Amino acid sequence: MSKQLKKIEAELRKNISNSIECREWRNSIVLEGKVESWDTVTAAGKKAANRGYKGVVNKLTVKGLEIPQINSPSFTDTTLQGKKVDVLVIGGGIIGCSIARELSKWDISVLLVEKEEDLAMHASSRNDGMIHPGIEPKPGSKKAYFNIKGNEMYTKIAQELDVPMRRSGSLVVYDSYWVKFIYPYLKIRGNKNGIKDFRLLSRAEAKAREQWISDSVSGGILFNTTAVLSPYKLTIAYAENAMMNGAEISLNTIVLGMKKHKNDITSVLTNRGEIFPRIVINAAGVYSDKIAEMAEDNFFTIHPRKGQVLLLDKKKGSMLTSVIGKLSITNVKGTTKGGGIVRTIEDNILVGPDSYEQPYREDYSTSRENIENLMKKHFEILPILKPSDVITYFAGIRAATYEEDFIIEASEYVPNLIHAAGIQSPGLASAPAIAEEIERLTCKVLSQYKQINKKQSWNPIRKGIPELHKMTPEERNKYIKQRPDYGVIVCRCEEISKGEIIDAIKSPIPCVTIDGIKRRVRAGLGRCQGGFCLPNVVKLIQNEAGIKAIEITKKGNASNLLTGETKTDSIAKEVKK
Amino acid sequence: MSEIKTYDVIVLGAGPAGLAAGYAAKQAGADVLIVEREDRAGGILKQCIHDGFGIIRFKQKLTGPEYAERYIKMVNELSIPMLMSTFVLGIQKNNELFELQLVNKKNGVFALRARALVLANGCRERTSKQVFIHGSRPAGIYTAGTAQYFVNIMGMLPCKECVILGSGDIGLIMARRLTLEGSKVLGVYEAKSTPSGLARNIVQCLEDYNIPLYLSHTITRIIGSGRVEAVEISKVDESMKPISGTEQVVKCDGVILSVGLVPENEIAESLDIKLDPNTKGPLVDQNFMTTMEGVFSCGNALHVNDLVDYVSESGELAGLQASRYARNSHNRNLIEIKSNNRDFLYVVPQYIDTSSDNKSAVIYYRSRDVKQNVKVIIRCGYNIVYQNKHSVIRPPEMEKAELDLSNISINQDCKLEIIMTEG
Ligand SMILES: Cc1cc2nc3c(=O)[nH]c(=O)nc-3n(C[C@H](O)[C@H](O)[C@H](O)COP(=O)(O)OP(=O)(O)OC[C@H]3O[C@@H](n4cnc5c(N)ncnc54)[C@H](O)[C@@H]3O)c2cc1C
Ligand SMILES: Cc1cc2nc3c(=O)[nH]c(=O)nc-3n(C[C@H](O)[C@H](O)[C@H](O)COP(=O)(O)OP(=O)(O)OC[C@H]3O[C@@H](n4cnc5c(N)ncnc54)[C@H](O)[C@@H]3O)c2cc1C
Repeated sequence: MSKQLKKIEAELRKNISNSIECREWRNSIVLEGKVESWDTVTAAGKKAANRGYKGVVNKLTVKGLEIPQINSPSFTDTTLQGKKVDVLVIGGGIIGCSIARELSKWDISVLLVEKEEDLAMHASSRNDGMIHPGIEPKPGSKKAYFNIKGNEMYTKIAQELDVPMRRSGSLVVYDSYWVKFIYPYLKIRGNKNGIKDFRLLSRAEAKAREQWISDSVSGGILFNTTAVLSPYKLTIAYAENAMMNGAEISLNTIVLGMKKHKNDITSVLTNRGEIFPRIVINAAGVYSDKIAEMAEDNFFTIHPRKGQVLLLDKKKGSMLTSVIGKLSITNVKGTTKGGGIVRTIEDNILVGPDSYEQPYREDYSTSRENIENLMKKHFEILPILKPSDVITYFAGIRAATYEEDFIIEASEYVPNLIHAAGIQSPGLASAPAIAEEIERLTCKVLSQYKQINKKQSWNPIRKGIPELHKMTPEERNKYIKQRPDYGVIVCRCEEISKGEIIDAIKSPIPCVTIDGIKRRVRAGLGRCQGGFCLPNVVKLIQNEAGIKAIEITKKGNASNLLTGETKTDSIAKEVKK
Repeated sequence: MSEIKTYDVIVLGAGPAGLAAGYAAKQAGADVLIVEREDRAGGILKQCIHDGFGIIRFKQKLTGPEYAERYIKMVNELSIPMLMSTFVLGIQKNNELFELQLVNKKNGVFALRARALVLANGCRERTSKQVFIHGSRPAGIYTAGTAQYFVNIMGMLPCKECVILGSGDIGLIMARRLTLEGSKVLGVYEAKSTPSGLARNIVQCLEDYNIPLYLSHTITRIIGSGRVEAVEISKVDESMKPISGTEQVVKCDGVILSVGLVPENEIAESLDIKLDPNTKGPLVDQNFMTTMEGVFSCGNALHVNDLVDYVSESGELAGLQASRYARNSHNRNLIEIKSNNRDFLYVVPQYIDTSSDNKSAVIYYRSRDVKQNVKVIIRCGYNIVYQNKHSVIRPPEMEKAELDLSNISINQDCKLEIIMTEG
């Protein structure tokens, strides 16, 4: 045992739990033992992090705590049995989908597998949709590098993929006078990270920009490069563009294991058969450490960090122009993110997220306490916000490693494995840059196996479903003339037409779940939360995709909306005829 | 582009309120158009296939669709044009005229003008998030109205075994309906200590079917990943806060919510019409004119009614007054009606227009709490204009007072005031 290892072990035993044992594996530190609580597990992991090891592999378990198995598709088949591909991407979040798109530039075969019924069902649809300016990450970290670069790339990407984005800027306010003196420090940090456009605002300037902020605000820092967009629309757009350019996407497909020969992965086992890829890309979000483990390359552990978020009615959206955050001593240090108030691209207001450790990787339940605290904390900054403005709330889970930085690299031990793992916030902001880097790494590895060339026919332009409510009357009329269904409003709160919903059902990656349609066209996301339009959306799926009402689900996998037919002859039976 | 057509009155919504408004306006001689965003008239009544509609108006127990049919027939007999499947995108007032921007399949985006508007948009249901229910997000959670649509219009069952949260009328009616259709309703849980629905519905929909009603209880957590698998129920204290230690898990595959209705007033708000925080509908005078000249409100958009008969009544008044306004507007002199939040959930109208020729006013009120032996008095200074003894008064039951104002001089120093006293 090395001196350093001994020292860490002694420290952990003394300060955290005396049942912890440490050992070294490759260049990482492994923690083992049984402890009393989850907090102990994460505290130990954090203590062992950034102490000169490549990563912390935290194998501590908690007495009596059972962690559920990964949510899996409920069926198996042989669709993919024996399939050979150049690149297999695991995970259909923003990271996997953006990688697939960049790889589709090359004349190689790319297959993306996602275990859920749809793309972007995890972190990539459960976040704030904010493209951060890059002030929070530590200078020199991967987070800082990819965030700044990603932010810059978004102008072009959003345009190519037809995903609405607004550079709304963000205002970090403070109420205590002395915080002003931190500005020089922040300025150095901002410059180090390479942020282009930010400055200090006086109280009056801050007020002039955001007239509804609390009177207690005594100034702010404005970051002009901050942007907002819909993260799930973006994920789907990336995936569709990848598909247009020849990449394949297989949903309801879970990676269960891997076979290796010497150090190389030879095949990947899924519920739909054994796949034979040349290269495997790990973009599995909160399960990225489990994928690494399947390849015997688990030099890191994900500790799921949860955050809850409030969504407010559009009526208040116009009272905000930017993203508002609050500067406090804790987030000056740059490790925790205080959350904020975001005017979304659709003009709702998002409040949050909060941030706390818990052991479950897919438990998106919300709790009264967290939601009440969010309101208490943030409504103070913008006092016009009221609990009655809340239309919904949700939770997301960050795939945090103990080193608290992204893992974007070719594996040191498995020659045909590449990691895009531990992509927590600002993962969305960084995605375009991460994808390009993974593209570069993949091409480098792949060119050892075969010669690769750029596709002549690659088309970076993808067209989204038209958003009629944003058009001028003349433009809208043109669309309705061509397709009268664009003139029939189905979702009254968000003003979404029948035509748009049918477009979603029949989109390049067909979508037949209620939540999937929400993510694509927002039907049911407004203030009535689908109370009125849900039955109509069910009817549309039934008619357009030929799926029986009884089989239609909210989000795939046994989430059926209906349980049977009525027994009496109500008017329903007549209507049916 | 063709010339923009101008109507005297445009009615938004073809539910019972809008149909009655259109009918009354036409009878009074106005050139009327009814606009409806759905493909059929009748509003929420289309899915209310139980009977009990029209006892006051037609002295008969009709089903919802039958009641709606009668009004649709009346409207058709007067050849009142109805634009169906047509959605209002926005409204602007330009020089005494309202300019509406609408969209439908046939005309695309188009404009119409009106001298007066009647907002009869109805209401929507409060959702699980608006009452802050927590836990996971499985399928199987529906508002009672959505469940009603699935069952009555589509012939589909939303659950096999469910609990109902909230004791609003639609929830009670759905408890019976689901039971008759073969689903099991395990219980109705109400956070308040008194039911929200009408007494007759408690008897006819729950007691007759042995469905238990648990007062002072609420759902504190929803459990399930695909479908609902169970709910956690807790007792609540007087301030409706869950009491820890009283949690109990009930297995079920569905949750039906009947936790309140909210008047739909997005259009009113876009016109900057002032809303009453108590009713969530516009502030109106005795003619149901809102704070914006020429815009009238009626039915559930004005305040949530418990009987459709009152809805039609309010529609008729709004329609008639809109037609008069379109012909001949006058300067209003609005004097507020004084009331208090302590005794009353709300009072409608909130103003009297003393310069209107309409000297009869109907005042609707709801008590905040269940009370016994109270007197409701409406007075103007020392002058008592109305009094009514209630041996019992309950929030679910709306009360109404008909006033003759012809001999009362209401002014800033002598406002109408409604009070509740013992005795
Ligand atoms: C509350 C919250 C707010 C945030 N706000 C922001 C923000 O404003 N800006 C920002 O830049 N970032 C934000 N983030 C971070 C951002 O959401 C993530 O960094 C990003 O979505 C990560 O994308 P991903 O593709 O790595 O992960 P995911 O979207 O989780 O995708 C991983 C996918 O892999 C699939 N998968 C896992 N295991 C398997 C398997 N065995 N087989 C097949 N498929 C598998 C999963 O089903 C999943 O779909 C926020 C995060 C949270 C939680
Ligand atoms: C489930 C249920 C059960 C009931 N049971 C009984 C009972 O047993 N007995 C009884 O007497 N009463 C009952 N009622 C009460 C009564 O039927 C309702 O109060 C009444 O239907 C309300 O009428 P309305 O016209 O105001 O609203 P709605 O019936 O909701 O009609 C509003 C109409 O306006 C349309 N609309 C809204 N906005 C727009 C717009 N911007 N542009 C165009 N169109 C628009 C809507 O699509 C809708 O068709 C019940 C109500 C409900 C909801």
